[in-house]
Amino acid sequence: MQPTSPRASWRFTVIIAATILLPCLYGFGGKFLEFVHIFRGNADGMFAVTPIVNYLLASLGFFCLLAWATMRGMFHDIEAPKQTFLDTEEWLDHRETETAR
Amino acid sequence: MTNDSLTRDALPNRELIEERLVVWYFLAAIGYLFVSMLGGFLMAFQLIRHNPFNGIELLSPGRWRMIHTNAIAYGFLANAFLGNLHWIVPRLTLRSVMSRKLSYFIFAAWQIVVLATAGGLLLGEAQGLEWGETPVWIDPLAQVGLLLVAVNFMTPILKTKGPMYVTLWYFLAAFIWTFLTYAMGNFVPEYFVAGTSAGAVGGLFIHDLVGLFVTPLGWGSMYFFVPILLRKPIWSHGMSMVGFWGLAFFYPLQGIHHFLYTPIPMFLQYGAIVSTIAVEMVVLTVIVNFFGTLKGSSRALATNLPIRWFFTGMIFYAITCAQCALQTTLTFQALIHFTDWVVGHAHLVMFGVFGQWLLGVMTYLFPRLLKSDWASPKLCEWHYWLSAVGLFVMALDLTLAGLFQGWSWAALQPWDASIEVSQPFWIVRIWAGISMFSGQIVFCVNLWKTWQQSPLNKAVMSSAVVPA
Repeated sequence: MQPTSPRASWRFTVIIAATILLPCLYGFGGKFLEFVHIFRGNADGMFAVTPIVNYLLASLGFFCLLAWATMRGMFHDIEAPKQTFLDTEEWLDHRETETAR
Repeated sequence: MTNDSLTRDALPNRELIEERLVVWYFLAAIGYLFVSMLGGFLMAFQLIRHNPFNGIELLSPGRWRMIHTNAIAYGFLANAFLGNLHWIVPRLTLRSVMSRKLSYFIFAAWQIVVLATAGGLLLGEAQGLEWGETPVWIDPLAQVGLLLVAVNFMTPILKTKGPMYVTLWYFLAAFIWTFLTYAMGNFVPEYFVAGTSAGAVGGLFIHDLVGLFVTPLGWGSMYFFVPILLRKPIWSHGMSMVGFWGLAFFYPLQGIHHFLYTPIPMFLQYGAIVSTIAVEMVVLTVIVNFFGTLKGSSRALATNLPIRWFFTGMIFYAITCAQCALQTTLTFQALIHFTDWVVGHAHLVMFGVFGQWLLGVMTYLFPRLLKSDWASPKLCEWHYWLSAVGLFVMALDLTLAGLFQGWSWAALQPWDASIEVSQPFWIVRIWAGISMFSGQIVFCVNLWKTWQQSPLNKAVMSSAVVPA
């Protein structure tokens, strides 16, 4: 199941991401529109303010983080960290063994 | 990071990780696991009408049930994860935590918070919110504690340069989420909103505590240890990032699925259901990534016990998430709400998934921390089998019990009939609990024997003898 190439892995990831994001954004968009309609019409909308404001604040924070990470180039070579991390671990273990001697 | 920069920048191992603190956290976690299991037994005996402490207020099962849940969340899981963090964060960032003194202070303060919570619950001072029963006078202390934890660990993480490994993303988010979730659940319903509206916030809190405190720390740990145990990188780091951002954006709105069919507006209930289904897809990224990484190394399941713990936890995770997808549909919810199905589901998540992963981490790390192999690999096997089989039987038993209870209520049978039909299931549950409890006793015996043969113990003993 190891990806044959980085390109294949990237394509698969994009498909999975789209499968998750698109229907959910559609669902959420619909529910928020419904919320706006209720908010204009009756008291039920007011009831929902607390949980929805909670959600919007948390999501806004993470949207800013996503934008910051993208601008910092965190996703340029998205597969690189998994190898760097293992190299570091190997190096730390090696150093620990050397110290023990 | 190149090897040159590693050699140049990194602290010596001894200064990088405070290993003694990792051991202390793990021991505290195991201690609270025992307390929690004892609470579970007390409740279980009450259900089969054999409560040995009948009439003693301080030992009433209602109070011990809260100790059972709180000791698992704040005693076992929180302590084990804090031990994990003290091992993982310095190794990933090559920087020590912000302050070691602060780390020791947090350790002591957190034990006081958990013990005070237990004391408050026994004395009947519980707050009226599931998982948030911590007495109101402890909440500010716990909140400050969570802030200190965030500052202590975020300092080295934020100093890292270049793309971060997925584990650090999860940990970073967990520090913020846990702080905010605790504040939301313990202060908003108590002081700012009331009635059904407080119920909606309570629903968010219950689920966010699992999804925004336990899940990111658990997933982050899994992504750290599994590649190390298998000696190969995870299948797709890109997919793990999709999982991370999916969790960030979809998890916070799904808690209301705990309150379907309540007076909460239906569009919020539907929103929670949609969000839950989105999170199911997010969980799939984790499951696919784990099995993708394992592919080609399945022999490790026989030879490498820590990876077997992770594998078992992942199987239980798949079952749990399949249950979630069923539970959040309105049709199914009508059948299983308030039944033991939910109790089985909770055990499957807490002990079956995250508990198994943490026990796997301890199985891997204790020999490294104590500088000695396990005294008895056979006892390690017994620990695994008693825990895994016990949990499997308990989850299956409670799931079936929940269905029978739900059908009994749906058929409008008297309440007593559903109690009678539950009795055999509750008896089986006690045996399953005994199996899990025995597993932990075996683990402790093995740990004690390993400590006895550890060079650290010999050093402690000899330093104690020399002055005399």
